[in-house]
Amino acid sequence: MFQNTKCECGHQNPVGTVLCESCGKPLDEALLKDENALLEMRYDGVARRSQKANPHFVDRIWNFFSSVKIAVYLIVITLIGAAFGTILQQESTIINLTERSEFAAYYKEQHGTFGVIYHALGLSRTYESWWFIGLLVMIGTSLVVCSLDRVLPLYRALSKQQIRKHLQFINRQHVVYSGELTQDKQEWLDRFAKELKRKRYRVWREDGALLAEKNRFSRWGPYINHIGLIVFLLAVLGRSIPAWHMDQYLTLYEGETRQIPGTNYYLKNDKFTLDYYSDEELASNQKGTKVVKLYETKARLYECTDACDDPTREPVLTEVKQHDIRVNSALAYKGLKVYQNSFQEKVRFISVHATLKDKVNGTDIGSFDLKMNQPEEEYKLGEYTLRLIDYYPDFGLDEQTRPMTKSRDPNNPAFVFRIAGPGIQDRGEVYVYFPMPSEKSKYYETILNESFKQRGDNSGRFSIQVDNPIVDGQMNNIEYSAFTTYLNIRMDRAMPYVWVGAAISMIGLIMGFYWQHRRIWIRIDGDKLALGGHTNKNTYGLRADVAGALGKTRIEVDPKTLDNRRNER
Amino acid sequence: MGRYRKPVQYIILAVVLLIGGYAIGNSLFSKSVVLTKGDKPPGFRLADLNNVVHDMEDYEGKPLIINFWGTFCPPCRNEMPALQHQYDKWKGQGLELIGINLSEDKLTAESFIRQIGVDFPILLDKDKKTERKYGLKQYPTTFFIAPTGEIQEVVIGGVLTEEEIDKRIERLIQTKS
Amino acid sequence: MKWWLDFSSDAFIVAFFLYCASFISYAIAVGGKKWSNRKPAEHAARWGKIAFVLAAIGWLAHLTFFFTRWYGGGHIPTSNMYEFMTFLGMAIMFAFIVIYAIYRNMMLGAFTLPLVIIIIAYASVFPSEVQPLIPPLQSIWLKIHVTMAAAGEAFFAIGFAAALVQLIRVVDFTRTDKAGRRAQFWTEFSLYVIIVLVGFIVAVFAFRGAGYEAKFTQETVTIDDAGNALTSVGEVKYTLPPLVAPYNSETESFQSFLGIKKPLVEAPSWMNGVNAGRKLNTVVWSVIAGSLLYGLLRLIARKKLTAAINPHLSDIDPDDLEEISYRAIAIGFPVFTLGALIFAMIWAEIAWSRFWGWDPKEVWALITWLFYSAYLHLRLSRGWQGTRSAWLAVIGFLVVMFTLVGVNLVIAGLHSYAGV
Repeated sequence: MFQNTKCECGHQNPVGTVLCESCGKPLDEALLKDENALLEMRYDGVARRSQKANPHFVDRIWNFFSSVKIAVYLIVITLIGAAFGTILQQESTIINLTERSEFAAYYKEQHGTFGVIYHALGLSRTYESWWFIGLLVMIGTSLVVCSLDRVLPLYRALSKQQIRKHLQFINRQHVVYSGELTQDKQEWLDRFAKELKRKRYRVWREDGALLAEKNRFSRWGPYINHIGLIVFLLAVLGRSIPAWHMDQYLTLYEGETRQIPGTNYYLKNDKFTLDYYSDEELASNQKGTKVVKLYETKARLYECTDACDDPTREPVLTEVKQHDIRVNSALAYKGLKVYQNSFQEKVRFISVHATLKDKVNGTDIGSFDLKMNQPEEEYKLGEYTLRLIDYYPDFGLDEQTRPMTKSRDPNNPAFVFRIAGPGIQDRGEVYVYFPMPSEKSKYYETILNESFKQRGDNSGRFSIQVDNPIVDGQMNNIEYSAFTTYLNIRMDRAMPYVWVGAAISMIGLIMGFYWQHRRIWIRIDGDKLALGGHTNKNTYGLRADVAGALGKTRIEVDPKTLDNRRNER
Repeated sequence: MGRYRKPVQYIILAVVLLIGGYAIGNSLFSKSVVLTKGDKPPGFRLADLNNVVHDMEDYEGKPLIINFWGTFCPPCRNEMPALQHQYDKWKGQGLELIGINLSEDKLTAESFIRQIGVDFPILLDKDKKTERKYGLKQYPTTFFIAPTGEIQEVVIGGVLTEEEIDKRIERLIQTKS
Repeated sequence: MKWWLDFSSDAFIVAFFLYCASFISYAIAVGGKKWSNRKPAEHAARWGKIAFVLAAIGWLAHLTFFFTRWYGGGHIPTSNMYEFMTFLGMAIMFAFIVIYAIYRNMMLGAFTLPLVIIIIAYASVFPSEVQPLIPPLQSIWLKIHVTMAAAGEAFFAIGFAAALVQLIRVVDFTRTDKAGRRAQFWTEFSLYVIIVLVGFIVAVFAFRGAGYEAKFTQETVTIDDAGNALTSVGEVKYTLPPLVAPYNSETESFQSFLGIKKPLVEAPSWMNGVNAGRKLNTVVWSVIAGSLLYGLLRLIARKKLTAAINPHLSDIDPDDLEEISYRAIAIGFPVFTLGALIFAMIWAEIAWSRFWGWDPKEVWALITWLFYSAYLHLRLSRGWQGTRSAWLAVIGFLVVMFTLVGVNLVIAGLHSYAGV
């Protein structure tokens, strides 16, 4: 479509050039036909790299991504796709399910037929779907190609600008002025140039022609923004590198220490605190309800220094960090972050301080600490020895009415001891002890010991108990955890790059939007003055600049009359 | 720039293809933690009831059954005698059988094992580490691992009868490494 | 503290009435130009100045409200819907003053003020008492993220106001072809939507003033972390006569209204939000009240509302409005990017351990951003300047409002506030 690329000024332009690179004369046929139309000043009318006759296959792909129209389509499709994903809850927000079939059942149950369709279409995983990721990849590609195709020619055009422009070029700008110059030509130009310099324009002159320009750097804003976005997108992609990313949950009751899976770190929950707002602090429509003021896990982070992989020994831990973990205040150590996720109010026994009593003469033989987790197997109390021979953390009976534990948690622990010492038969006495101060536990304890007695394993002489277990609703001699805390453990090595990308992008946006590239061309032929001005944004400001400078040089104009669009009507 | 235009285009498009392919591929093949037939079982190092360390590597090249069990799980308890029987029957032909206890107290596991009279190695998982590595969802779960080191079958839940175990062991033994 | 809070709400009322007075002055400035014995330009300039001064004093009162509430309440008042909406109104006034300082265009005030009035009246629908902060909100980012995001959105609001004036200005009522009629219809429709919003506010305050109340007990089933279905029975209170009952509910008490003694329909089950039934009922009422209001205005004007306004706009230049609209959006875009996306990501990273979680509110902020990016790119090509880009600016602000309000009403997520 472009046959003649050689301008009348003698400059040879590349195919696709809209305005002569040298003098600015319109070359595009459509622009030539309509002499009053405003000039297409995008990228200063230079040929974009993508415009070429007889495109090759690779060129076609390149041209596809180089098109702003395509970029806008991509943005709009992504926008609509993203909106679809917000119709129903996404799978990723449902923590406890993992399998496809589980999710399918969930959506069916929660949302009926619509849920089934939504899930079947894959919209329940919109943001992880291949098409959504694909759209983001295409946007990223478009960012690279579009920017590269435009920024280089634009840079070239702006760094070698002609001062004297073609009259058509000047008269078809957005901001124009033309008139007779009654004053002295040179003197007027000097004064005009001075006015523009005062407005921080850089001014070049050439025999009756002038070019003033300011804030050229703002033209690079969009491209810097795009670079930032590309860095951002790449950083986000980097999070999918397994070694760069960790996301897991750890459940800890108070006093518990557990290894953070997949690391050499151990985490301990020293104490969990939950506070509610008092009634006075609440608004009247909240009174009587419980509004959480604070929840916090006092945590310690340990690093394993020895026997870390030895299953026969306990790992040797060194404390490396202590932090009160709250929402908005995570524990951070060498790229590892521990966040407060949620909590559960749940009493769990940790240990009891129990006493062995001789019921016959009413004396205490001795007391000992009994842990619910990994209890010691032997306890020496004066002349007596207690040997732990069986332990059921959550006592119950199986189908064959054998004792068993119903779970791994010490909900109703039962300890079976063999007591040996003076005045006891050789094979010792068997005693089962239930530390839980509940009626059910004590009932079990009584009838089981009774049956041992009938078998002859137990004389009924001994008992194990906690002194004053409950006084005024407070538990004594019992160590327990009142809360279980849920912590989220994260590692994200890509985050710094995400922030760098965001920062670059922000810098680009500010450059591009809060400054505008303004240029003014003047050409004086005889006593005819022709002025043209162009800016990529805010023609209002440019008109004010031009009218101001003209006014100071005794050419009074209303800024509005400089608007070329008005002249069209 | 003009001269390098083609190569630059090719390089950029190639990089896009690579990175984009990786990104989309990632979304297409989301990894599941659940082990299935043909997978290689993850390694472990665990102590048995006598405090002897067993490494997964010790069992390489042998037909191997790994049974995850706990005393709190009735089907696990009910399955145990059958496993012991089959172990007695096949150990002469090189079968290895490991029971991995689901992070219970040693005492609890030990007293149950004594009651049943199990003599195959019982390893003690700690803090559900191994269990998580194997992506367990239900108990018991039994992995039948061929001498090739590949999982031949995963039986999740339920009580395996002796015949069922027998049939599977036969297949295991027949698979040559 | 109590004294400061009382003083604060007084300041708010003062601000509200000054805004109303300012709006009336703008209306006189625009509408009274052709009154007898007046020079149109002088009249407009004089009343425009009065209106602007009233608006500026109103804004000072609004600022007083904000800072005294901050001091009295102990935390920045941007933590619930009431506080956010009043803040948004204040931000829009700020954006208006900035843009006005640049362009000195009076028409902008005539359309911004009603918008601000509607927004702060809408805010007043929500409970206005200071509520203590729940742990996730106890962060410095509550100040930074929310205020920045609102500032960005405020500039979009100005872009919207200018675009709407532009659209009303350029509608050609003599055209009878398809495209012309379409333009007439949609411009009128935009005004209708705004009037429905007013209808909503009127309905809420009318029934609140009359002390209307109805109660339902609703059974909801939730699935807990362990996968068990939990059934809970909650009470739902209506302050508007229930045309739509909550899903799966029983009537507990019902004041009859115009002979209606029980709800007409029940809300569908797929509406997930908190109190979805009540919100749907509110929407139905808003449409009814808005339509009545619209009908009344049509009766007074005896023609389309846009046609009634259009002649008063004849002496402004649509290109100026276009420039203002574009400029406002261009100023707002980086602010929005920083406040609603980047700062939001930083806060999310600090509080929720992930910078982006595809929460509905986050997604809609992204959608808003993508929409305005598309707008900015489309403007590069000439075919999309003028009316088309004005329409985009109008739709863009609808997206903003959906993000701010709609998401909370329709979709449940991490950002949910209490709602009517």
